[in-house]
Amino acid sequence: MTDVREALLARLFEVVSNIPNMRSAHRNNVDIPEDQMPAVIILDGDEEAATDTSTRPPTKPQVVTMTPGIVVQVQDDNVVLGSVITTFRQELLKRVLTDIQLIQLTGTNGSIRYLGCETDVGWTRTGFAVLTARFTLKYPLKANEL
Amino acid sequence: MAIDFTKMLYNPAYAELGVKAMLTTTAGVVDITVIDDTRPKTHTSGGVEARSVGPGAFARIPELMSKNVDRADYINSMLAFNGRMWIIRSYELRGSPNGEDLGDVRFLLKSSDD
Repeated sequence: MTDVREALLARLFEVVSNIPNMRSAHRNNVDIPEDQMPAVIILDGDEEAATDTSTRPPTKPQVVTMTPGIVVQVQDDNVVLGSVITTFRQELLKRVLTDIQLIQLTGTNGSIRYLGCETDVGWTRTGFAVLTARFTLKYPLKANEL
Repeated sequence: MAIDFTKMLYNPAYAELGVKAMLTTTAGVVDITVIDDTRPKTHTSGGVEARSVGPGAFARIPELMSKNVDRADYINSMLAFNGRMWIIRSYELRGSPNGEDLGDVRFLLKSSDD
């Protein structure tokens, strides 16, 4: 019995935990003190099933699209902040979009897509930047396998 | 007769709350008195909060002027007080009923450890 959603989120957490130079990784922790940064946080996010007006039995597979968020927080010298956050973005995209286990979990009818990112900058003790990356992960939901 | 807020308010407040500080500008080093204004700071973005501090300090403009520290000297000067060294990244003038030149300035600081 497998909940693919949970398996995908757990694997996503493992993948981002291995980004070089990341001090801490969290899942659904929305309160990060500065000594944990650079930090990456997986937010489970929402999911939505594809519209299906057929009369198929509910036990038949249906495609579900998950939209987890991945937040990267960085404290650093304001002068280098831009390149630091860009490097983390590069590592994040490379690892999520090429991870074999994630691809296998989404199945042959599933997919992993990068939707884009938002950034925000400010000041704390030093310069501070946040990058929020959005992905869609499509997978077949099979009620009989839950 | 106007109240002298420097004598009646700022000087007593700095005498009570102020700490010794060393301000290093391109023109040299001066000793001044500052009030530590380091505050907790939370930055929320992407649904996640980051907790840190927003370091800051108040200083009296008359004291700075008497020691030949002009506004142009503020940014990128080093300010050491309470056992830490900071860099002035920006500032805001706080004004005074007697005019901004007799008020105080809030230095917005950043860590010198970068």
